[in-house]
Amino acid sequence: MMHGIINIIRRVYPSYKNKQIFLAFLFVSPWVVGFLIFGLYPIIMSVYYSLCRYDVLRIPQFIGFANYRDLFFDDPYFWKAIWNTLFYTAFRVPLSIIGSLLLAVLVNNAVRGIKIFRTIFFMPSIIAGVVLSVIWLWMLNPQYGLINSALLFFGVTGPLWLQSAEWSKPALILMSLWSIGGGRMIVFLAALQGIPQQLYEVVDIDGGSWWNKFWNVTVPMMSPVIFLWIVLEVMFSFQVFTEAYVMTQGGPLNSTLFYNLYLYYKAFDDFEMGYASAMAWILLVITLIVTLAQFKIGRKWVYYEGDQAGK
Amino acid sequence: MDLIKKIAYTLGIAGIILFLIWDLPFGEPVPEGRELIRYWFITGAKEEVPYHARKFNAIQDSIYIESTAVPWTEHEKKILTGIMSGNPPDVIQQVTPVVKWASRMALIPLDEFIHRDNFDTTIFFPALWEEMKWEGSVYALPVNSASYAFLYNKRLFREAGLDPEKPPETWSELLEYNRLITQRDQRGRFTRMGFIPHYGNLQTSILMAWQLGASFLSDDGTRISMKNDETLKAFAWIVDYYNEYPINDVNAFMAGFGYAEQHGFLSERVGMMVLDSSFLDQIERYRPDLEFGVSFIPAFEGYTTVSSSGSWWLAIPRGAKNPEAAWEMIKLAVAKDTQLETVAEMEESLFPGTREAANDPSFLTDEMTEVFVRQMDYARSPSIVPMAHDVFWREFHNAQERVMFGLQTPEQALARAERIVQRALDEAMSYDRFVRGRMSITDHEK
Amino acid sequence: MKRNKLYRNITVYAALAIVSLVLILPFLWIISTSLKGDEDIFTTPPQWIPTDLRWENYSTVFDRMPYIIYFRNSVFVTVMTIIGVVLSSSLVAYAFACLRWPGRNALFIFVLATMMLPMQVTMIPMFVLFKELGWLNTYKPLIVPAFFGGGAFNIFLLRQFFLTIPKELFEAARIDGCSEFRIYWNIVLPLAKPALATVAILTFMFSWNDFLGPLIYLSDQLKGTLALGLALFVGQHQTEWGMLMAASVLMMIPMVLIFFFFQRYFIKGFVMSGIKG
Repeated sequence: MMHGIINIIRRVYPSYKNKQIFLAFLFVSPWVVGFLIFGLYPIIMSVYYSLCRYDVLRIPQFIGFANYRDLFFDDPYFWKAIWNTLFYTAFRVPLSIIGSLLLAVLVNNAVRGIKIFRTIFFMPSIIAGVVLSVIWLWMLNPQYGLINSALLFFGVTGPLWLQSAEWSKPALILMSLWSIGGGRMIVFLAALQGIPQQLYEVVDIDGGSWWNKFWNVTVPMMSPVIFLWIVLEVMFSFQVFTEAYVMTQGGPLNSTLFYNLYLYYKAFDDFEMGYASAMAWILLVITLIVTLAQFKIGRKWVYYEGDQAGK
Repeated sequence: MDLIKKIAYTLGIAGIILFLIWDLPFGEPVPEGRELIRYWFITGAKEEVPYHARKFNAIQDSIYIESTAVPWTEHEKKILTGIMSGNPPDVIQQVTPVVKWASRMALIPLDEFIHRDNFDTTIFFPALWEEMKWEGSVYALPVNSASYAFLYNKRLFREAGLDPEKPPETWSELLEYNRLITQRDQRGRFTRMGFIPHYGNLQTSILMAWQLGASFLSDDGTRISMKNDETLKAFAWIVDYYNEYPINDVNAFMAGFGYAEQHGFLSERVGMMVLDSSFLDQIERYRPDLEFGVSFIPAFEGYTTVSSSGSWWLAIPRGAKNPEAAWEMIKLAVAKDTQLETVAEMEESLFPGTREAANDPSFLTDEMTEVFVRQMDYARSPSIVPMAHDVFWREFHNAQERVMFGLQTPEQALARAERIVQRALDEAMSYDRFVRGRMSITDHEK
Repeated sequence: MKRNKLYRNITVYAALAIVSLVLILPFLWIISTSLKGDEDIFTTPPQWIPTDLRWENYSTVFDRMPYIIYFRNSVFVTVMTIIGVVLSSSLVAYAFACLRWPGRNALFIFVLATMMLPMQVTMIPMFVLFKELGWLNTYKPLIVPAFFGGGAFNIFLLRQFFLTIPKELFEAARIDGCSEFRIYWNIVLPLAKPALATVAILTFMFSWNDFLGPLIYLSDQLKGTLALGLALFVGQHQTEWGMLMAASVLMMIPMVLIFFFFQRYFIKGFVMSGIKG
């Protein structure tokens, strides 16, 4: 019977181009099926809830766009949460990407013992979120924490970090930099090693420096992967939650009240799941717009060696 | 080489599979022939199965209670999904407020059980007991609480020229004492302070507001009042304090505080503080040499002391398969004997929820504990705005923070807080009206 | 020439050493804390080498949580998840990167968009869904979705990698009459080994540390995972630091070992020979 079906299919889709399309759908089907089963229902429900008042344990009450209206015009913390999240993203993303990239280049040297160094760099990223937060609470302590002690060593008196409204976000950004050697660096490293040696040799022949090699070979060849991480990091930064949840609870003075944290409080402390759903969808739209913008800009600088399927 | 590799791989995989399916034992096995009920408790600091659960299994053999620990991190999600699953545990342990769950039809009312067994409900502290009720029914029983009282360091008093046997009774006295005790170093940084209003779990401002008679919720439960005279006066006091002792300097001072011996009071860096009774144990453990006294929390002149007490309570979620057995366990947990035995067992004991246990000589071992017990008579439940509990406290803290940092005046801060909480309450009540009559009580049991 | 190399090596080692020091200090604190009693942890100045070694922090961890059982469960969930993710996300990524079809870009953006919704709000309907499917208190909610696309993150990652494979390879294979699936299985996958290994390790990290999924889907205590066990040491007002750190150390060891020994699989580059022309 399978043979018969395949024959029918073969007759209906004879051409090469159509065959590609058919196979493409086949290949993509796991995700599509998975989405239809596991994704569609939650997404539709969350849209519905965003138009309701709903406390999870009781039935939803439809109220139209009231949640959205309230968020934009009547919520005391909405804009603050957006600002906090944007601030965090704007600093964290460039610093992490550049940092991981440089580290990957550093670690790409086949010197002896490099494996150990790579492992050391990688280790911070495997610590569970809650434990990491708890460790950094100590590290960022203004009096006896490691950070300020180190600063003191250089004669600088460190700020109050998590207890200061101005320094709380920088503190969390600093904390996120510690996992600079994690998965991101590994991906960069793998990409680095995929760059053909010949390209570097060409630069050598032309008398180029390390800097030339970096800018004219490394970065362009790695651009798909760099682009990937920029898009991903922005997405993740927009959803920052655990650090603030464990360490600061949004304070001081709501300086670390990130969007996702505020959402959590609304959903699971206040049991306003409808309101929280509306918040989630607003975030999605914002993230989508930002991501699409990045893709547009990406066309200009990302270089795909083998985009054999065409743009 | 290939063969060896193959053998190695096969053995390896076989080993892994074996490991994965082998039934490894842990803990006590469930005894045969007993009815099984499940209990979810929230991990506090020291986590073993709570004493009352263990005792329950030990003293009778018709029911067996299986206890599962729920981590404090994101515990709401666990309880929520547990109830939604239609197969919740039979007993859950939670923290103030009860109404959060009771008003959402998540708990089974205990009235029937109470009447049937002639259960004496006067054994509980009034402040705790009030919180257990919602719309006339009782939904939980308080097992543990925390009693807060005023602790002061006698040595620091002496060094400041104060009589170590005379703790302050009014807030103005406290301020004066604070001035005498507080010291700075050459660079102007605090090295010692008398009293810090925002250090500790209990906020001084709320105590003050209560003392003066503040009422945050109207009698019909619809109108919020935060910008009332009493709270304004309390906040004004706070403003004066931080004018005299700049917040950033105080925070810098507090940055060195930690837990145990590093706690501000235990390390003798703070002379006076409102603390809960577990600190008696902590002091004994970490600083037995500390010379301190316990007294009632100060009040404004002409007013009475006030304290605050939430509770850890036990309840039966809707949809529990065996409420009868669950009730037996809950009854046992609040029985005087169990409460006293729990206290004896724990290193840092929680305060019992029942008056009878607290007043028993084996608990009331010294004068200091007695102050804590007496203070409970003046305790208020933090469940002030049942239907907007978290919002109320969040906004209260936010308002106080803004005032402390000088960003807003008390009027502005409290006006804003009031507006936000009122709106949240209105929303909650509007939703509540909608749900009534549309949802039946048995909906959760599907 | 040799001189230059020496200088270069010295700079490299110096840089490596400095960065390592910065990154490893908190780790040393974790290990040091795991051997201390609670009182000694927050001393000023911080005590790096504990005077009073509390090895019993480690043994208490084994008493408090069924460590071996949780370890076993974590291994099971993680391994199954990795298999599912690697297989299905590579398949889907292939379609996005290597095949031409209408709606490809739009669907890709759509796939990405699914990552942009915070899980806080999809969590509840998802839970209801799994309840209706009867999958509560099993590992299925944690494992099965991995086989259906393996997550937008991994698809994105592999797509970017696949896009760097030169077209000529595909053209040559197709001219030779290879079916797409053969190309996928015999050409692309082997070339993408480092990428796949990277996906595997990232999935490992995520699944190993995932605490929320096990929290809400598993009600039997014995079905829990290590991440869940770890969370039990964090209390409302107090945290059992010593034991928390000990449990963390124990939890991290497998990951560190795997990373160290399998580095070469996900770092070795593509083999580019025979592609010219």
